Amino acid sequence: MTRKQKRLAVIAGGLVFLGAAAGLTFYALGQKTSYFYMPADLHAAVLQPGQRIRLGGLVEEGSIVRGQGTEVAFAVTDTQDTVKVRYAGILPDLFREGQGVVAEGSFAGDGVFVADSVLAKHDETYMPKEVAEGLKEKGVWQPE
Amino acid sequence: MFFWLTAALLTLAASTAVLWPFLRAPAAAHEGAGHDIEVYRDQLREVERDASTGLVGAAEAEEARAEIGRRILRLADGRAGGNTRTTSDRIGRLLVSAAVLAVPVLGWGAYAVLGSPALPDQRLEARLTKSPAESSMDELVARAELHLRQNPQDGRGWDVLAPIYLRMGRNDDAVTAFRNAIRLDGASAQREGGLGEALVAAAQGIVSTDAQAAFERALAVDPKDARARYFLALGYSQEGKNADAADLWRQMAADLPADSPWRGAARQELARLGAPEAAGQTAASGPAPTKDQVDAAMEMSSEDRLAMIEGMVSQLDARLRENPADLDGWQRLVRSYQVLGRQQEARDALARGVAALGTGSAEAARLTAFASGLGVAQQ
Amino acid sequence: MTVELGHFALVLALALSLVQAAVPLVGARMEHPRLMAVAEPAALTAFALVALAFAALTAAHVTSDFSVVNVWENSHSLKPMLYKFTGVWGSHEGSMLLWVLILTLFGALVAVGGRNLPQRLRATVLAVQGMIGVAFTLFILTTSNPFARLDPAPIEGRDLNPVLQDIGLAVHPPLLYLGYVGFSISFAFAIAALIDGRIDAAWARWVRPWTLLAWVFLTGGIAMGSYWAYYELGWGGFWFWDPVENASFMPWLAGTALLHSAIVMEKRAALKIWTVLLAILTFSLSLLGTFLVRSGVLTSVHAFATDPTRGVFILAILTFFIGGALVLFALRAPSLAAGGLFQPVSREGALVLNNLFLSTAAATVLVGTLYPLVVEAVGGDRISVGAPFFNLTFVPLMVPLLLIVPFGPLLAWKRGDLYAVAQRLLAAFGGAIAVTLLALVFIDRSAAFAALGFGLAAWLVFGALTDLALKSGLPGVPLATAARRLAGLPRSVYGTALAHAGLGLTVLGIVSVTALEAERFVTMKPGDTAEVGGYTLRFEGLQPRQGPNFVEDRATFVVAGRGGEALGTVMAAKRMYTTRQMPTTESGIRTFGLGQLYVSLGDLTEGGGIVVRAWWKPLVTLIWGGALVMMAGGALSLADRRLRVGAPAPRRKAARQEAAA
Repeated sequence: MTRKQKRLAVIAGGLVFLGAAAGLTFYALGQKTSYFYMPADLHAAVLQPGQRIRLGGLVEEGSIVRGQGTEVAFAVTDTQDTVKVRYAGILPDLFREGQGVVAEGSFAGDGVFVADSVLAKHDETYMPKEVAEGLKEKGVWQPE
Repeated sequence: MFFWLTAALLTLAASTAVLWPFLRAPAAAHEGAGHDIEVYRDQLREVERDASTGLVGAAEAEEARAEIGRRILRLADGRAGGNTRTTSDRIGRLLVSAAVLAVPVLGWGAYAVLGSPALPDQRLEARLTKSPAESSMDELVARAELHLRQNPQDGRGWDVLAPIYLRMGRNDDAVTAFRNAIRLDGASAQREGGLGEALVAAAQGIVSTDAQAAFERALAVDPKDARARYFLALGYSQEGKNADAADLWRQMAADLPADSPWRGAARQELARLGAPEAAGQTAASGPAPTKDQVDAAMEMSSEDRLAMIEGMVSQLDARLRENPADLDGWQRLVRSYQVLGRQQEARDALARGVAALGTGSAEAARLTAFASGLGVAQQ
Repeated sequence: MTVELGHFALVLALALSLVQAAVPLVGARMEHPRLMAVAEPAALTAFALVALAFAALTAAHVTSDFSVVNVWENSHSLKPMLYKFTGVWGSHEGSMLLWVLILTLFGALVAVGGRNLPQRLRATVLAVQGMIGVAFTLFILTTSNPFARLDPAPIEGRDLNPVLQDIGLAVHPPLLYLGYVGFSISFAFAIAALIDGRIDAAWARWVRPWTLLAWVFLTGGIAMGSYWAYYELGWGGFWFWDPVENASFMPWLAGTALLHSAIVMEKRAALKIWTVLLAILTFSLSLLGTFLVRSGVLTSVHAFATDPTRGVFILAILTFFIGGALVLFALRAPSLAAGGLFQPVSREGALVLNNLFLSTAAATVLVGTLYPLVVEAVGGDRISVGAPFFNLTFVPLMVPLLLIVPFGPLLAWKRGDLYAVAQRLLAAFGGAIAVTLLALVFIDRSAAFAALGFGLAAWLVFGALTDLALKSGLPGVPLATAARRLAGLPRSVYGTALAHAGLGLTVLGIVSVTALEAERFVTMKPGDTAEVGGYTLRFEGLQPRQGPNFVEDRATFVVAGRGGEALGTVMAAKRMYTTRQMPTTESGIRTFGLGQLYVSLGDLTEGGGIVVRAWWKPLVTLIWGGALVMMAGGALSLADRRLRVGAPAPRRKAARQEAAA
């Protein structure tokens, strides 16, 4: 191979590599991202069975039910609509009724959302950003 | 003074730093490719070292040497052009003068906008040890707290601090302090009553069983204690035992001196219940006032209290306009206007009530009877 | 008066940074030595002033001066002294002051240590540093002033966020910032090279140790942050692919690439333009990280209350520096002398491959981190990109990179012999295969991926050992000679081997925890036992306990080993910080060997039990231990005489050194 051919081969190899990486990235972006919904948004949403989403809203007052074992049930509301959530795990310290929360998981067959992670905030005055914005859009929450 | 002096010194130091190169004799200029040559020489030495320890092979070392040599040659070529531009010292001096000036101007200017030079440091320890005469309320309290943290068995200290907490709205702290005072110095009507009040305040105005027990202990020490009686009655009314509540308040209205704030409060509660101050008549039910209202009423002058009552009356009036099928409400409204001495409005309320309840209905008849009992006649 | 003096010093530092940014730059254009010489005293004084400001703020925190808003918001008279001290940078304002303190510290170090640099280069570098200083000092003074006062002063503070009341706060942010800000030096050198239109030979000599220094700190900062989140969040995870974590990881990836490309540049005078670009990108990613963390534009498990107006300011800083640098690069890069071509199979070829993988990996992390922002801006959908994305993109990029790591140090410069190198690595390869098979047979027959992971980790460690063995002459020389030569090897050789082996250890820890961790999730009443990973936990009950500024219920678990032998206790707690009325969970961790038993408490249940989540995490400590080994490798390289900061010593000194040698 001449010098020029070698150079071309190296550049082509680099491009193929970058192309493959870019392809993989975009494939992953299509497959592995999870959408964020508030309960009222779910009517309009088209969800595949078992599709992972992030569900955000406020923990409905009086909805927390602790079972016999380690499972906890509660409801997430955006004041317009409410979704029941099941979760087996340790709830965050700042998980409280009436507070903002983001649950990640998917819907089970019975219409209950099964969360595998529940996120509240480290900071007692702070609302998860997505929830705060969602509530603002719905006009139910005004930051002071 | 010390601050301004130090600030001036800092500014001077900063300005001197900018001026520094102009205060010294110019350093011998060692510019240009000399540095690069040094680097390359150093690289050559490194190649030698690596070659001697066998880290790189002989051929590899030879190639590296040749390459560094080429770089040195290239450097020598480039140097021929030279970079000896005459420097304009005048512009330099001008620029550095501007910079030297900019430091104090910017510094002091921005500080004038941002800083609070008049505000001294307020270290907590210093604040807690200075003369009590100069201390604020908060500081005195903090100081007492510090003292009590170190001497938790000082009942007297808790006794002094507890009512202050209560007034500051630090209700949970007040509860603890009253409990400590009682534990260490024994029960008194003051302490038990205070504990009860703190418990009520901490529970947003609800008289809990704990609070009730405290008030009862206060009355065991001093059966005439006004605060304990008032709150016990409030507790009864919250439980729906309006007759008991009214009895207690009526007693208070009767036996307390006229200038006691508790007497006014008791009478007001009676008015709220719709119970006359004399015994023997039925009392109508009404929601308990919130803690804020009680507190407010207790601390008010009589004028303010009147204003507040009028406010509550007009609220009631407004509510009845929206929601007129409420015999109880109409009775209270008529009675309230009558108590306030506004006869015309009392009669007006009666007329509206009768119309709202349905002229000729049984309820309208009861309202009319109730009103005539108060001396309000239908027009 | 200390508080106001601190405030004044900070304002003065701003003025001085402004001078430092402008005067030497003009001086360098005019070839005016005295104007250029303003840079050093200005940088030193700016550092002294910022240090004074920082000391004043520290004094205010330590003495609980609640007339300072920052102290009132983040401190409490009863807070333990250590947290009063670390609380200085526990708040946004204080942490930005720490940022600027470190920035000016590096500026001062260049001023002191750079006397041998060409004056023009030194003046321009310090001017660029000054510009960054101006931007961030201005940011502090206008949007987040730690010296704002309160009058009258409250008597008690609102306490520091309990999550931050931890030794982790003492270690993690300073290390992280030393890393982030350390890259500003490489950035400043890159900008200086672009402004001058030439790259001095001294350039590469300087950029490499500074990059290495920043890299060592950043490695430590990320590792400590990961360990802190691991034990503080109580989830048992060590990495969540959270935006805030990615924000620190991207500069690390780019910085690692820079580290390697700087070697090529120094040794072969090649890859110059790429190295300049990488230096710009690395610091840009540091700035982006600061922006992401401070603005709260992305949802993060590590984020605290944030303020969008600050975000806009940092975004402006970001745009100015990144945009400016890239424009300058576009204009000037063509005028820089390009380096020579080289053979693909060579040390430099391997390093280019390393750069290709690392920068692509950094790019995928960047895409994954920013994609939610883009989607929201374009379509309004709120999405999140989490671990599944990164596992699918990042891991496939890393595996081949890790596979080629052992080849790099063994290849010769200019013309490598891949076949010969492969032969030399045969032993290491055999060892890795053996480890894979052992893992497959003895640990889990079905977990082929885990076994391959163990093999990969072993490959890295054995590869590093092979490198050392070959460089000391084995197998060709007698053992005694080899030992002597091993001892005489340059420290940078050890540094490389240690860093690569440390990477292997981290991989080993990650694979082990991912594949072999055991988890139990149960409700326990006092006296109940639960078994996890061969250890038995007996719950003894909850005891209330009073801390300085919190109350806690502490759960005690008695641990017994496989054979029932007593192994002591592990304690976990649920705390309530009284001032903020904020609950936290303190996980209980016991280290056995290289693994850890991890217990986290949940809620109380009705029957008087408590929800307990317990893990056995085999080899988990290697994740951070490996990072420490990497740091040690970096530090050892820094200590190498050949890398010792800066251009060569003046001739006289050099001669003396040679005489001594």
